[in-house]
Amino acid sequence: MNLRGISFLVSIAVRHLARRKRQTAVAVSGVAVGVGFFLAVSAMMIGSQNDFVEQLIEAAPHVIISDELRSPSPQPGTRRFGEGAVDLRGYKVRTEVRGIKGWQGIVEAANAVPGALASPSLTGGVTLRLGGHEEALAIVGVDPEVETKISTIEDQLRVGRLRDLETVQGGIIIGEELAARLGVKMGDIVAASTSSSKARSMRIVGLFRKGQAMISSNSGYVLLREAQSLLGRPFIINRIGIHLDDPYAAQEVAARLEQRFGYKAESWQERSSEFLSLLVTRNVIMYSVVSAILLVASFGIYTVVSTSVSDKRRDIAILRSIGFSERDLQLIFVLEGIMLAAIGVIFGWMLGYVLMEILASLRFPIAGEDESVPLDRSTRQYVIAAASSFIAGSVAAWLPARKAARVDPVDILRGAA
Amino acid sequence: MNPILEAHGLGRTLPGERPVVLVHDVELTIERGCFTTIVGPSGCGKSSLLYLLGMLDRPTAGSLLFEGRDMSGLSGDVLAQTRLARLGFVFQFHFLLPEFSALENVMIPMRRLGRLAPDEVRARGFALLAEMGLESKELKTPDKLSGGERQRVAIARALANDPALVLGDEPTGNLDSVSSARVVETLRRLAHEEGRAVVCVTHDLDIAALSDVRVEMLDGRVEKVTDQRAGR
Ligand SMILES: Nc1ncnc2c1ncn2[C@@H]1O[C@H](COP(=O)(O)OP(=O)(O)OP(=O)(O)O)[C@@H](O)[C@H]1O
Ligand SMILES: [Mg+2]
Repeated sequence: MNLRGISFLVSIAVRHLARRKRQTAVAVSGVAVGVGFFLAVSAMMIGSQNDFVEQLIEAAPHVIISDELRSPSPQPGTRRFGEGAVDLRGYKVRTEVRGIKGWQGIVEAANAVPGALASPSLTGGVTLRLGGHEEALAIVGVDPEVETKISTIEDQLRVGRLRDLETVQGGIIIGEELAARLGVKMGDIVAASTSSSKARSMRIVGLFRKGQAMISSNSGYVLLREAQSLLGRPFIINRIGIHLDDPYAAQEVAARLEQRFGYKAESWQERSSEFLSLLVTRNVIMYSVVSAILLVASFGIYTVVSTSVSDKRRDIAILRSIGFSERDLQLIFVLEGIMLAAIGVIFGWMLGYVLMEILASLRFPIAGEDESVPLDRSTRQYVIAAASSFIAGSVAAWLPARKAARVDPVDILRGAA
Repeated sequence: MNPILEAHGLGRTLPGERPVVLVHDVELTIERGCFTTIVGPSGCGKSSLLYLLGMLDRPTAGSLLFEGRDMSGLSGDVLAQTRLARLGFVFQFHFLLPEFSALENVMIPMRRLGRLAPDEVRARGFALLAEMGLESKELKTPDKLSGGERQRVAIARALANDPALVLGDEPTGNLDSVSSARVVETLRRLAHEEGRAVVCVTHDLDIAALSDVRVEMLDGRVEKVTDQRAGR
């Protein structure tokens, strides 16, 4: 059939729909509401998800190599004799020297990965003391110059800069809450000690903003050298953070490094696998709800087309006698469904746009900051909504349209004549 | 003889536990330029035969040659295309589409065929209605027309694609005598002046007497075919 023929079938379908305005309006609103709410809900869901994943990605290095081993390394006895004839029990376990051995080599290897930057650090526990007050603190010794490039700690500072650690002798950066508990402010001196070393004075050179989910309120940053001497472990590091230009390569890079060096290398995905699987669940829920809405919308389309077919049996017989084929008739009624979907999609797009504008204008305070709803307003969602409505509409119309094709004109003509 | 349609042993039986024979073993030739009527008592199978001749229904026996081509076994799409391009139907009840104006109803077959440009379709629609004496009624919907006017619109629509064969099932059955006479005159003109083959089922013996060939049916069979031209 040529284009003229098709456009003619469209015009017949339009006439049919124009005849039943109220039903058409109901079916169209069904689709429109479905599409509109899908757009609004998915914009929120995807927006918050992107926001969240971004935080996950940027909160900590994309890959973290630690001094842990996934499985304890075999004891010398087992290594010597293997699993075979001898079963060794009750031997004295050699304590591992904690820290990453040969870390310079690992850092070098990590930096050799394109787009990767590695920052070695040492973490350990200290006690901060001021007056009679004591607080346990996990200190992280870093090289500020490299660390600022691989993490977002710099952005999370309320006051001060990471680089200040280099210029101030014994500088330390701690969280706002901890500072409040100790009653210290910028520039104040606190005493830090470990079980094995005597106390040493440290000066507060920066404060983290509170409410940073990814930085524990009980951790503090110092210079790597400072941490090594404070913890009594010179030249040792126990963590290498790696930043990647492409965060989604983290799993692969982590696996390669772990394979090569034996130390546990954790990607951000692995670290947050629980969160990520939660996101999958969220998406499943969202798309099920959307499918349900569209299913309901397609019931409306089904009803309109189905009553249209049974009302128009006579017209179907006329058109068949004129020379319209079964396929033409089926197409007319499928077109009715597609048009209902199309009009619904257009109104739904408008509704969704308005809903998103409203959501975007909302502001509410979270932890003292005026936050807006994170929205993902990509055209992809508009396309998905339209495509699924068209599919739902065509299927819903196709079922009764087959009935239209099967109408035997002779039966109708006999009945009427 | 200038046949356009030939039926050989044409039959139609409704399947079922007790099969119903609608049409049985019909031998019939329809000629171009000839006005043929089919008569017979009610329920003898006139309409059933007409549906077979018009390829709206499929025979269960025999064969049908249209313009020399065997139509049995062709796909529904081909038959539909043949009806669209070569045939025109007129039924007892007007059978116009209620949402469309008289003009639009006449334009339907042309628009579906898609051979003419939209403005040509429109012009031809006006011309056909004018020929049927329906000037100034073009934009009325069927419910605003009288029975006779509707039937003339239906004839105009049947002629839209310039069919070689026009089939009528009691086209005057619902009309008063004046309208009826006009319709018959039109049908005769289509055959005699325009060279089309016209086949009409009718109860009206006066109309049958005016036709060129009279086919009498009884119980699904063709009883007698009378060529009435010789006597005139
Ligand atoms: N679906 C059907 N089931 C059973 N019998 C049928 C069916 N359709 C038609 N018939 C019978 O077939 C016969 C032929 O019907 P048809 O309509 O062809 O007759 P007709 O000559 O056109 O009658 P009329 O002059 O009343 O229009 C009739 O006896 C009718 O009752
Ligand atoms: Mg009949």
